[in-house]
Amino acid sequence: MTETTTTEPWLDSNQKPYIQIESVTKKFGDFTAIDNLSLDIYKNEFFSLLGPSGCGKTTLLRMLAGFERFTEGRVLVDGEDISEIPPHLRPINMMFQSYALFPHMTVEKNIAFGLKQDKLPDNIINQRVEEMLELVELTDFAKRKPGQLSGGQSQRVALARSLAKQPKLLLLDEPLGALDKRLREQTQFELMDIQEKLEVTFVIVTHDQEEAMTVSSRIGVMDSGKLIQVATPTQIYEAPINREVADFIGDVNIFKGIYKGQDETGTQLLSEDSKSIIYATQKVDVPVGNRIWFALRPEKLEITRKLPEVDFNILKGKIEDIGYGGSFSTYHVKLENGRQLTAIRANRERTAEHHLTWGDEVYLHWAPHSAVVLLS
Amino acid sequence: MTRFSKFNVSAIIIGFTFLYLPIILLILFSFNESRLVTVWAGFSTKWYVELMQNQGIKDAAWVTFKVAFISSSVATFLGTIAGLVMTRFGKFRGRTLFSGMIYAPMVMPEVILGLSTLLTFITLAIDRGVLTVTLAHITFSMCYVSVIIQSRMSSYDDSINEAALDLGCTPFRTFLLITFPIILPAVVSGWLLSFTMSLDDLVIASFTSGPGSTTLPMKIYSMVRLGVTPEINAVSTILVGLVTAGVITASLIGKRQRQQLAQS
Repeated sequence: MTETTTTEPWLDSNQKPYIQIESVTKKFGDFTAIDNLSLDIYKNEFFSLLGPSGCGKTTLLRMLAGFERFTEGRVLVDGEDISEIPPHLRPINMMFQSYALFPHMTVEKNIAFGLKQDKLPDNIINQRVEEMLELVELTDFAKRKPGQLSGGQSQRVALARSLAKQPKLLLLDEPLGALDKRLREQTQFELMDIQEKLEVTFVIVTHDQEEAMTVSSRIGVMDSGKLIQVATPTQIYEAPINREVADFIGDVNIFKGIYKGQDETGTQLLSEDSKSIIYATQKVDVPVGNRIWFALRPEKLEITRKLPEVDFNILKGKIEDIGYGGSFSTYHVKLENGRQLTAIRANRERTAEHHLTWGDEVYLHWAPHSAVVLLS
Repeated sequence: MTRFSKFNVSAIIIGFTFLYLPIILLILFSFNESRLVTVWAGFSTKWYVELMQNQGIKDAAWVTFKVAFISSSVATFLGTIAGLVMTRFGKFRGRTLFSGMIYAPMVMPEVILGLSTLLTFITLAIDRGVLTVTLAHITFSMCYVSVIIQSRMSSYDDSINEAALDLGCTPFRTFLLITFPIILPAVVSGWLLSFTMSLDDLVIASFTSGPGSTTLPMKIYSMVRLGVTPEINAVSTILVGLVTAGVITASLIGKRQRQQLAQS
């Protein structure tokens, strides 16, 4: 393996993937949980599997850990086929959603458990346990039992325990799901620090798209046992490949219409909402007359009371609802045909002078390069 | 406040009197100086001393403890396995039948249970004695143990076992190091419950015992037929004390376990 430091190994064809999931299928009776799924994950990646509940992401994770056998396909880790290896012999560790701490053992013993199974000498075990306790800042809690820890502390013990054996790959099943919002945000950054420091490959399962965006090097969006899109958080957000991904990640305004060709401003769409031509810069390769969609993130819609000084991409509407979010406000704008769009505006002015209010007649405008063209 | 209304207080007094007055009288009169059971003649422990000299009662007590100890230990072993199978192995062929068979002895009238085990021993030509009583006690105690284990396992987080496997522990060691220590309190309270049930069983023991395997409840029952003596009161008091201790310990263990679960 070439040891070049690249931040995006998936773009470099010389890089060998670290984990290769090859056409894996998993069926529970008639139900197909994972449908012929292939995925390459590279060393030191922080890879997120994101999707609604029941999409198969946890099943995929459990298959990597060895708790579920797959019906077809195989998985390679560092070139080695691990498909037939039972879970207790895999060089992979997992952090469970429920943390699954051993309630009858102290924090220390929980962390040492995996090392003891490997029959390591006591001094090495003690040293490693100490390092782990320091890493998660729980040195003072070494002698406590899991029942005496808070949720955040339990989460750290679970992390330390799963990292103690220095696995090649760490699987995390909704690792932050049980924490409150503030602690979750703080822990996200800690997880990223630890991952960087220890150089372990992380695969995390989450249904929280914000979490996936924050922590991941790449995200795999799953639905019905299939990967819909695998890309960096920026790409997933700014260039989703279809309406499903666009809708699942963040808020989005979708414009349905008929493709009318290209001109110097960009791709033309005859919008069903405004009955006029709207533009996006991105080019498409489909016959004129096809049904296509424009996707626009709410923060890319400019909302003004004055008519913008351009002559395209303008929609007129009335403010229906305002969600004040402190640093920004969310506006629900009802178009003349009754369709409701969402726009977000940063609250740069502190005084009420520039504020929009309920019932205001407003114009929505966007730059053609802000819109994403979707074919499905 | 209606908590201590006249109705509530009197209901409690009447209820507890109804339940415990006979037992309290029995305990009181076991310390009676007089041989007459109904006349109080001052405090004395002489009936306990006399008890110690009664070889028949001592033999019966020894048989009872032997039977209770062995039957509760075997029943705990088998009941734990049955409870684990019912909760850990998911669906298997004959699961419903198996679970019905585990519960059967709980709902079956004791007389029927005693009679059917007796018939089994006769058919198999097994001489009745300590062994047959022990076997019969295992049969009916086992189902209680399995129920206790099943209820413990229903709140057991399977991912704890998966975590142990994931950390390199073999399935068998996982049971020894993780599952068993966690369910140990349930196993202990199952054992205590079987022990006390074997201790005070009369019906099944009467059916399945033979010469030389008279248990304490049987001995007491036969003595009573010749009239109630303070000696019987004394031996009953000891039995009541043991059973009470067993039941209280079992429920304390259960309570502590629930508290631990609530914490984690």
